[in-house]
Amino acid sequence: MNFLPGVREGVVRTSRARVTSYDSTDPDDPRTPVVLLHGTGGTATSHFWALFPMLAEHHRVIALDFTDPAEADGEPDTSWYVEQVEAVVAALSPHRRVAVVGYSFGAVVAAAFAGRRQELVESLVLVAGWTRSDQQQQLRNEVWSRLHAEGSSALPAFMVFTAYSPAYLLARTAPELADLVASAATGRDRATMMRFNRTVDVSEDVAQIAAPTLVVGCTADQMVPPHHARLLFGGIRDARYVEIRSGHAVVHERPAELYHLIDPFLTDPARTTPGDVILQEAV
Amino acid sequence: MSTIVSPPVPAAGNETVLSDTDVLIVGTGFSGLAIGTRLARQGRHSFALVDRASSVGGTWRDNTYPGAACDIPSHLYSFSFRPSTSWSHVYGRQPQILDYLERTAVEEGLLPHTFLDSEMLDAVWDEQAQRWDVRTSRGRHLATTLVTACGHLSDPAIPDLEGLDTFTGEIFHSARWNHDVDLVGKRIGVVGTGASAIQIVPELADLAESLTVFQRSAPYIVPRKDRAYSEAEKTMFGRLPETAQQLRAGLFWDSEARFPQRLGVPAFLAQMKKAARDHLAAQVADADLRDRLTPAYELGCKRILLSNTYYPALTQPHVRLETSGIARMTETGVVARDGSEIALDVLVVATGFEATDLPFAHRIRGRDGRLLSDHWAEGGRTVASTSVAGFPNLFVMQGPNTGLGAGSIVYIIESQAEYVSGAVDFIVDRESAIEPTVEAEDAYVADLDLRSQGTVWLSEGCRSWYRHPVSGRLSALWPDYMHRYRAENGAFDPAPYEILGSGRTVAAGQAR
Repeated sequence: MNFLPGVREGVVRTSRARVTSYDSTDPDDPRTPVVLLHGTGGTATSHFWALFPMLAEHHRVIALDFTDPAEADGEPDTSWYVEQVEAVVAALSPHRRVAVVGYSFGAVVAAAFAGRRQELVESLVLVAGWTRSDQQQQLRNEVWSRLHAEGSSALPAFMVFTAYSPAYLLARTAPELADLVASAATGRDRATMMRFNRTVDVSEDVAQIAAPTLVVGCTADQMVPPHHARLLFGGIRDARYVEIRSGHAVVHERPAELYHLIDPFLTDPARTTPGDVILQEAV
Repeated sequence: MSTIVSPPVPAAGNETVLSDTDVLIVGTGFSGLAIGTRLARQGRHSFALVDRASSVGGTWRDNTYPGAACDIPSHLYSFSFRPSTSWSHVYGRQPQILDYLERTAVEEGLLPHTFLDSEMLDAVWDEQAQRWDVRTSRGRHLATTLVTACGHLSDPAIPDLEGLDTFTGEIFHSARWNHDVDLVGKRIGVVGTGASAIQIVPELADLAESLTVFQRSAPYIVPRKDRAYSEAEKTMFGRLPETAQQLRAGLFWDSEARFPQRLGVPAFLAQMKKAARDHLAAQVADADLRDRLTPAYELGCKRILLSNTYYPALTQPHVRLETSGIARMTETGVVARDGSEIALDVLVVATGFEATDLPFAHRIRGRDGRLLSDHWAEGGRTVASTSVAGFPNLFVMQGPNTGLGAGSIVYIIESQAEYVSGAVDFIVDRESAIEPTVEAEDAYVADLDLRSQGTVWLSEGCRSWYRHPVSGRLSALWPDYMHRYRAENGAFDPAPYEILGSGRTVAAGQAR
């Protein structure tokens, strides 16, 4: 499935990996590209089916599918994934700064990229991201890993249970909920990224982030609870902060609200100032 | 504050001046009550409301057909400044919504400002006095600022059927329901398959001896996720108001997330089409009927309807779906285009409203006597979907480019009320008349035309009341997200206006 008619799919190589990329326009587009980095177990299309086309209405949008190392290459470190972002940006938007939007695991990579490649990042959005994995996360990761290792039929339901907010799950009909669980069973293999997630620590990179940053926390997030987003807000000099009433799966639960927050920030980061807590207006 | 003369009921055409205020509001539906409440709470400006009917409530007063209910969840389809905890169901029923509006009028103290049974006959901008002179069926009203809050789904559209006059049975429009007609055991026809019709049909199927539904185009219908709120929930909403507010916010963002369907984004279209297709397949077993109920246009071109009872009604043996079209009417019923004759006792016309050529525009004259309907001959032209070049101190609520394909119109109405109230402050503070420039209006219209490109409403094969019949422009709808309407048009900005200089000054409290 493609995002929109006209989106160009391509392949970019790093020295170690082959990465699929998506571009809503082309390198001649004068606008600052917005680079979307997906989360654990996702792909550009599975996580940004909503956000990519929404943003593409007024921005040039680039996305990529992160590639995990082959078994023989061992476990990936942060650089393994950062390299892939560097390669896609160099190939599709050379000699130009970009805006980076990272979600979940993608926010970890985005933070590392922004800390290491300050000169390339014009603005940064970190959605449901974190700096260092803590024992609450490791506990969930451990349950996931055991269910996965045992080939448990309970795994998809466990994933849905932890990914979505209670309010979202309650608003589904029984068949819709069943569909959600069924689709959780069919995603890409996430075992490598789940191992990576156990020991994330990008605190040194986070301290180096210079770009204006929007940090988005999700109030009902059990996978990356909002205290992580608040710590990112505390750790990034030029950061502003906003919370969305959602579970971790905010890209599915509240895509329009996410878009409503991200779009004006990308268009004009100076609209808000460092340290601002953005309060959502009542509707 | 108010300068309303307490009204002795004068004869029609009477020249008696019944009110002389800063603001005159025409209409007492959601729009009129929104701006009325704002002005009343603010307490700065004098105002009056007029309505052609004998009670308030607008479209929710007029549409009393069986099964009438809202298609937007009531916790969203209600004023943010008057949250109600007592909605019985997710989707409020017409009597509840009307009650909500009537209570708004009473509790916000609007009734003493309201002139009922007062149809606006014409409104003329008086250049000399720099004010609006409005004639109604009960007398005159003078006001510095005129706000039309007439709605765009107010005046029934009746199809031009050959032989309509010769039919000897009962005939009425869905928005003018004749409750005196006993429908039990009757042979009933319903013309139309829009939002009203699909609510009416299941109700009539329970009463009629036979029911024929005349369909021109099959609508997309998705499940109506309705349910009753428990007493515990309603009390919770009252005791913990933030729970109701969170529910409302969730409903709002759900609606916003449907807008990309209208931009034709494949993933969004596929999701909704699947929901509609699965719903039809689950409810209609007969392949031929299913075929005739399958829409022939792109999803979102016309309103997407919500019903769990419409398809099942059509599968009953005494209910028939007629798709060949109506050739003509006779004394005793309908002759279909395929030649079949359908005998009827009652014909319900559920064919919608005059939404593109807004009737009130034929009654408003701006500078140099220009008629608003002439200015809008090729579709509505405005600034901020609210004001019009050549029509000083006129603000149109729920006029051109305010309708929504996905979302709650009350959100737009509140945004407009905020805008209009800012404009009224400006007009009163400056003691001057204001009018948007022609350039600003051209720019606004051009920008909307640009945004409309690529939407499903302008796609090939899409014909609907959202488009103007002459120009083809998307004149009824706001072609973007709701939140963007408020961000762009939710606060008054004098920049696109010309200030016409100081006219007469109305001292607050001055009576005539």
